[in-house]
Amino acid sequence: MVKTAGSVKSARKSASNRVFYLLIAVVAVGAITALTYASTRQRGGTVTSPIDTTLPKVNSQGYVMGSPGAPLEVVEFGDFECPQCGRFTTLTEPDVRAHLINTGQIRYRFIDFPLDMHRNTWNASRAAACADQQGKFWEAHDALFDNQDKWNSEATSNPDKVIKPLLEPLVPDKAKFDKCVDDKATQAKIQAHWQIAMARQVQATPTFEFGDKKVEGFVTYDQFKELVDEQLAKSGKGAPSVGGDTAKKGVVLPVKPGA
Amino acid sequence: MTKRMWMAVISLLGLFLGLYLTLFHYGYIGSLACGVGSCERVQTSTWSVLLGIPLSLWGMGFYALMFILAIAGIQPQYADSRGLSLAMFLLSGWGVLFTAWLDYLQGWVIHGWCEYCLTSGVFVLILFVLSGVEWRQMKSLETEELTAG
Repeated sequence: MVKTAGSVKSARKSASNRVFYLLIAVVAVGAITALTYASTRQRGGTVTSPIDTTLPKVNSQGYVMGSPGAPLEVVEFGDFECPQCGRFTTLTEPDVRAHLINTGQIRYRFIDFPLDMHRNTWNASRAAACADQQGKFWEAHDALFDNQDKWNSEATSNPDKVIKPLLEPLVPDKAKFDKCVDDKATQAKIQAHWQIAMARQVQATPTFEFGDKKVEGFVTYDQFKELVDEQLAKSGKGAPSVGGDTAKKGVVLPVKPGA
Repeated sequence: MTKRMWMAVISLLGLFLGLYLTLFHYGYIGSLACGVGSCERVQTSTWSVLLGIPLSLWGMGFYALMFILAIAGIQPQYADSRGLSLAMFLLSGWGVLFTAWLDYLQGWVIHGWCEYCLTSGVFVLILFVLSGVEWRQMKSLETEELTAG
């Protein structure tokens, strides 16, 4: 049988159409499968994993809030310019303070982990450490996160100019605070915080350590409470000794307004 | 496969990429943490929203329109439509300009690169080249027809 030029052309066109529709189907099925897998694998946007017990321990680094007798210590590695850390501080932390820290169930430790991708975060960490010299770390912590959009690298290239007037009303000695910020007097301390985060293989902020578990990313209060309950249920888990380079050891701080 | 078919396939890929980033934006997918990469930083920056709508959703709109035009273009009744070719060429040209602005923001304002946004940029560029070549061919055909006529 002899094929005409028209029938050959038509057959090619038909084959081309088949390949096209097959390709469209493969792309659609593949993409939907991948999206479904991704959405179920990381429900709630958090990643929980066990902590390697051979890593260097957190001893006296960071800032501590809560009772020294609390049965569990939760550690946050945070970055003042990280949007998800800000979201956690604004949405979840008021409940954590009211229901877990102030009730003596947990002690809370914040350790700076300023990420390279955030240009102004070192300035914020240094300023918070300067406020800590006057016993006002947590007040500075809250003010920095509440006003993140005013001093972050999208808002200004001169963060100290915004951060200083923001934190000055919180500290008793304004001149001492300003000098501390201008001299970058707390740089070494923040570097030490950064080093312990690196030593504990922290990859992202916020990262929370609940006993032998590590959680990356934003967590809701319910998720936080669940992780605390799980650790408290494990018998014989003593919290590490309270060190912390804040003067607030064991002092239960007031809950943020609106908490 | 014709150029319009390839444009439909690439538009569909772009559509799913936009869907992934939109789900990420609303917290349904991915790790919402500030990590070693810069994608989260770009996606959570103030530039990730335009007129109250996430850029990824605008992107989905763009790819959906390109997909519809490409699918229409492979139907026999529109196979020779020069208007459709011109519409795809202009739309993808606008996409290239918009992508260039986004790349400028990533590199010089946000100081971070999102690999998904860059992938989308490559898709837009391919769509622009394919639609440009096709539009030129259509124009040549038109000239030939006029000469023959």
